[in-house]
Amino acid sequence: MSANIPVNAKIPVRPGVLSGIRVLDFTWKTVGPWAPRLLTHYGAEVIHVERAGGYDDHRVNATPSTVSDNPQPIRLPGTKKVYSDPQFNTVREEPAVAQSPGEKKLYAAPYFNTLHNGKLAISLNTKDPEGRKIVDQLIGKCDALVENFSAEVLPSWGLTWERIHELNPRLVYMSASGFGHTGEWKGYRSFGPTAQAQSGMSLASGLPGKPPAGWGFSYLDVMGGWMGGLALIQGLLKAKQTGKGCYIDYSVTEGAMSMLGTYMLDYQVNGRRTRRPDFPPGNRSIFPAVAPHNTYRCAGKDRNGQDWWVFIACETQAQFESLCGLIGQPNLVSDPRFATNEARVANQDELDAIIGRWTRARRRYDIMRKCQTAGIIAAVVQSAEDRVEYDPQLQHREMHPIINNPEVGGDFPYEGYPVKLSRTPAFVHGRAPTLAEHNQYVYGELLGMSATEIAGLRERGII
Amino acid sequence: MSGVYEGLTVVELADRRNQWAGKLLSDGGARVIQIEPIGGSPGRWCGPFVDDKVDPDRCLDYWWYNTGKQSVVLDVERKPAQDLLKKLLSKADIFLESTPPGTLAKLDLDYAAVADNKALIYASLTDFGQDGPWRDYQMNDASHLALGGQMSSTGYSDPAVTPIGGQGHQSWHMGCAFVLHGITVALFDRMTSGEGQYIDVAIHDVCAIGTEAAVPQWTYYGSTMHRQTGMHANAKRQPPLQLPTADGKYMIAVMQNFGPRVWENLIKWMDEKGVTGELHDPKYQNEAFRMSEYRTGNVVRDAIARLIAANNGEECFHRAQSYGISWGLVHAAEENYDIPHYQQRNYWRSIEHPEIGRTIPYPRGPVACDAIGIEPRRRAPHLGEHTRQVLTQDLGMSDNEIAVLAGSGVIR
Repeated sequence: MSANIPVNAKIPVRPGVLSGIRVLDFTWKTVGPWAPRLLTHYGAEVIHVERAGGYDDHRVNATPSTVSDNPQPIRLPGTKKVYSDPQFNTVREEPAVAQSPGEKKLYAAPYFNTLHNGKLAISLNTKDPEGRKIVDQLIGKCDALVENFSAEVLPSWGLTWERIHELNPRLVYMSASGFGHTGEWKGYRSFGPTAQAQSGMSLASGLPGKPPAGWGFSYLDVMGGWMGGLALIQGLLKAKQTGKGCYIDYSVTEGAMSMLGTYMLDYQVNGRRTRRPDFPPGNRSIFPAVAPHNTYRCAGKDRNGQDWWVFIACETQAQFESLCGLIGQPNLVSDPRFATNEARVANQDELDAIIGRWTRARRRYDIMRKCQTAGIIAAVVQSAEDRVEYDPQLQHREMHPIINNPEVGGDFPYEGYPVKLSRTPAFVHGRAPTLAEHNQYVYGELLGMSATEIAGLRERGII
Repeated sequence: MSGVYEGLTVVELADRRNQWAGKLLSDGGARVIQIEPIGGSPGRWCGPFVDDKVDPDRCLDYWWYNTGKQSVVLDVERKPAQDLLKKLLSKADIFLESTPPGTLAKLDLDYAAVADNKALIYASLTDFGQDGPWRDYQMNDASHLALGGQMSSTGYSDPAVTPIGGQGHQSWHMGCAFVLHGITVALFDRMTSGEGQYIDVAIHDVCAIGTEAAVPQWTYYGSTMHRQTGMHANAKRQPPLQLPTADGKYMIAVMQNFGPRVWENLIKWMDEKGVTGELHDPKYQNEAFRMSEYRTGNVVRDAIARLIAANNGEECFHRAQSYGISWGLVHAAEENYDIPHYQQRNYWRSIEHPEIGRTIPYPRGPVACDAIGIEPRRRAPHLGEHTRQVLTQDLGMSDNEIAVLAGSGVIR
């Protein structure tokens, strides 16, 4: 779709069904980067822009980095002080730029590799008018622009939707933000947990009578990022149908609210609120009310001393009868407390205690296997270790491809892309790009700048 | 309004797993024909129901996940119904199904059997996908959050308390997001190639990549996450970030940088509430020092907890946000109806419900974008509401033929 690609341009991405789609990616943190990343699996060319002289936060800090008790702020040449990503309580252990010859550079933290693999990386100073002119040029060469800055940032570069549309009428522009780019909260800031709290998603998780359990990670940065990825490909499809770009104002909080519709309708029709004493119901099921439906403690503990658990549910009478046989208590089937689902729901504390006594001294995967063999819903509460090192299903489905990245220590398993298409298969690229790795390709080949021009930009700190 | 899926015909085999994907297709303008068993989709029977009275036409969960769809009731276990479904598929653009692997092959409705329609995009969203050692295991929504890793990171700081999975079909939502991503890519390709294809998505695969830091934390550092009440699991235990307000709600005091201006406002606010304490010490004027203390110590955190405890939730949220602090208040889903911001953004869509004689404001689709145009357009269908219409208009059947099928219980 992109016009004016020089004939001899060496597009450094693997061809796929989205070859020719080029995305200008101004995303950072977590919710933004996912959307363009999902397109890389089909050969889209995604240009991730980082500020000249600096770098994407996730390159160095963010998720997995060692935790230290004595964090030190570091200084980088030409940038202000930066800290580790506080949300994860992590700390930069070394400067991003090698301070002395031989010192290890860390330009690709593991999570950066997850969020940005398959992308190209360039540096650009968007604070400078000359840099902003280059943004305009890039907009002319791209099919989509994605950012998750605060609402005021792009307009402060002169890039309103009207201006963007004028620069490239075919371009799809998506802003991902906590609360959207209109309305009285448009200036409000948000991380995944903020959106989880505000939407009602956090309150819908936990034990009754206890504080909300929420989500033990930024569900709305992950699922929120995927919904953004869905909107982005939908926007590109629409542009392909009509030849016209569009603006997608994606509010992560609204996206989450659109996953809570049943509760909204229950309130509108029945006046029932999710803020009520018996909600959320832990791991039990209210709609439909079925029992057993819970987590049960098993033998053993994880590396942190947390008990191991298995989830078991019987949604049919046959499943319950099988379970009674399995736990050696066939008499429960005719016990009036448990004979029907209705009775089981009414007496589920007792029922859970009986099942819990059976699981307590048993191994979690044995329980799962035995239950599943008998046709009963059962699932180990798997940790990341369990999934990466043991889960035979994920191994079979090749969900943890190995990516080599010398900057983070070589070969490591990553999270793959889970859609298997028969005719135009998706693929996982190698490592995420190093800092400004594709300046030459983008500025030289794509924008047709000469070596002298590029050197000039570099000297002036534009790139 | 014309949505991104306008003009497409989707055949959806009723199932609770895939119905959100079908809804987004329908909300995006596609004509979605949901094929239901004689007794109705399982989605009609789960509740909650209008006035809590069990009625397959009054299930609110079904209403939400099936806006704008058409309901055609066929007993696909039986040959005449299989033939009808096959005919529908010969003209459809998309087939969305979630049956256990192998089921449709037995009914001669697997991809190979209907691939004569070269343009058909045949999408299977199942628990484990079409292959693998766990392929035939029995699952539901919550069990996927267990197996996929969401529960392992979610729950309470007390290590003896159970892990928790969030309510509201979240594993199915995740699966639907990806199956629709695949379908949309396939549509993009089909515009050029003219050809459809087969799509295989496993909910387990999707959930397994949806736990943010947990996997890289394990693969790089060999660390296991501690569950922490209302906040991110972490390799190391941290002080709480979900803090009670004066009016018994909770703020999520997400950690972030406090630059000079934000800090000045924060201290002024703390002074006002008389909770500043040690933070008056000039050493906290040094950004590096205070951020370091905030990350690893208790002085800043304790003051924040006191500040939040001294404010009502709403007041606290707005004031923090006015200073550029990204804290969020734990709201209930239904409380969003009263918030002017979402009204200003035209978030609610009125859907008429003759069943209760009034309209209900539904949430819009995930994004605001007229061109994509994904938003509820019409109420969900009643059971079998469109059986006759589809058999007559799409398949050209006569009233007599339909009566014979109905009489033998093949359709409803």
